[in-house]
Amino acid sequence: MNDLAYLTVAAAADLLRSKKLSPVEYTSALIARVEKYDSKLNAFLRFTPEIAMQDARRAEAEIARGEWRGPLHGVPYGLKDIVDYAGLPTTAHSKILADNVATADAAVTQKLRAAGGVFMGKLSTHEFATGGPCFDLPWPPARNPWNRDHFPGGSSSGSGAATAAGFVPATIGSDTAGSIRNPATMCGIVGMKGTYGLVSRRGVFPLAYSLDHVGPLTRTIRDNALMLDLIAGHDALDPGSANTAVGGYSSSLEQGVKGLRIGVIRHFYTRDMEGDPEMVNGIENALKLLVDLGASLQEIETAPLAEYAACARTILSSEAYTIHEKWLQERPGDYANLTRERFLSGALLSAADYLNATRVRAKLTNTFHAHYSDVDAVITASALDPACRIDDPDEINRTYARQARTPFNVTGSPALSVPVGFSTNGMPLGMQIIGKPFTEALLYRIGHAYEQAAKWTDKHPNLT
Amino acid sequence: MWNDLTLDETRRLAARAGLTQLTDEHLQQLLQATQTAKARCAALPTDKLTPADEPAHILRLNRHDDR
Repeated sequence: MNDLAYLTVAAAADLLRSKKLSPVEYTSALIARVEKYDSKLNAFLRFTPEIAMQDARRAEAEIARGEWRGPLHGVPYGLKDIVDYAGLPTTAHSKILADNVATADAAVTQKLRAAGGVFMGKLSTHEFATGGPCFDLPWPPARNPWNRDHFPGGSSSGSGAATAAGFVPATIGSDTAGSIRNPATMCGIVGMKGTYGLVSRRGVFPLAYSLDHVGPLTRTIRDNALMLDLIAGHDALDPGSANTAVGGYSSSLEQGVKGLRIGVIRHFYTRDMEGDPEMVNGIENALKLLVDLGASLQEIETAPLAEYAACARTILSSEAYTIHEKWLQERPGDYANLTRERFLSGALLSAADYLNATRVRAKLTNTFHAHYSDVDAVITASALDPACRIDDPDEINRTYARQARTPFNVTGSPALSVPVGFSTNGMPLGMQIIGKPFTEALLYRIGHAYEQAAKWTDKHPNLT
Repeated sequence: MWNDLTLDETRRLAARAGLTQLTDEHLQQLLQATQTAKARCAALPTDKLTPADEPAHILRLNRHDDR
């Protein structure tokens, strides 16, 4: 069963297309794995094996007829439970939306269903994709497969846990202040927050309109690129959707990094905040490996983390409050304690507070993008610490803010979280690769070159 | 001003914002969250902005296609 659990999307696609593996056999094995282990991890909020088997049988019949739809055909996937799947509740892990049945698929769901994917269910999230792990909600929080006493990151916590645990090879998450890249880093997998507007947000419950992104979490760079190939693209029904050429993310992976100029923002994890030594060491070792592979490094200086954080949190608080105002007025007791406090932070902000933050955002974005006259891509930390214990609210509160992901929600830049090893207590470490708008293919190329040399993807958590 | 906010003042501001169902515990959360949020606003480098610095998101209209 372990062999099928850790098949990549790319490897599964080869086996399924050549009929060496049946979608029903593959799906049955992953269903058995979820049934055996998810009671310890809570990755799935709503597990749907009946739908999965229907999808698998359909895929099997189509592939048998020679109607292969592409690399996701017959491959299981899961959706963060803020993403609509028609006929199922989208709860956002909240009592507020416990009975909210989606009437249509989200744009991203439409694309994955059209690609022939096997839907395994809805995945845990932090309530409304914000806050942290809460124990006062209708469903328990997801846990980290590498050590279930530890935090899996969030808010796409179930997406990270399910992917790392070998429940599915690919999941969909969302990222408003780092919520794809945080669980990717904490769970030792790959997460892509593409350029703002690259992936449609239609049918995904919003947290903050101007900061929200949708993207894939997978165990390898190649799988992530394959998923982005499927879900990227303009959607006239998403007001933030970018009308630009997309695709080709998985076709340039093998070009290597020789000659590439990579900027390094060290001050985020050395001066603005002091990163955990093991995390810093993991990033520095990754940088050395990229130099060995032919890239050159150049340290760059941008605005301090605190400026990005002030900007992002002011915008997030203001936009989120507009979405939750009515519920906070009418049923404030139905939120988890932590979520309510997060959303109330926007109640008494002024229009000037919000607009000043968006004016600062324009400045920060223009200044950051000016660096790309000198470098092709940028590397910095994702989290500044490995995953802490999930039952230690003070430590979660302390480490949650110690991150360098939010700057790229402010700038809208594509940002890829890549594993860079493990701490001495066995928890994953990670870094971010960031690029100019719509250069996701280049980020995958750098990540793939590193991944092939470092070989972290061969390690998997022991769930027993 | 925001650092000196009291629970009674918070209750009055909350009522003006329509947040009339908040318990004392919720109001304490509102007070703390507001102080934190206002401190973040104070940390924004607005002194570097000029009157011509516009917000990041400005309405864009597409050209009408009259064909």
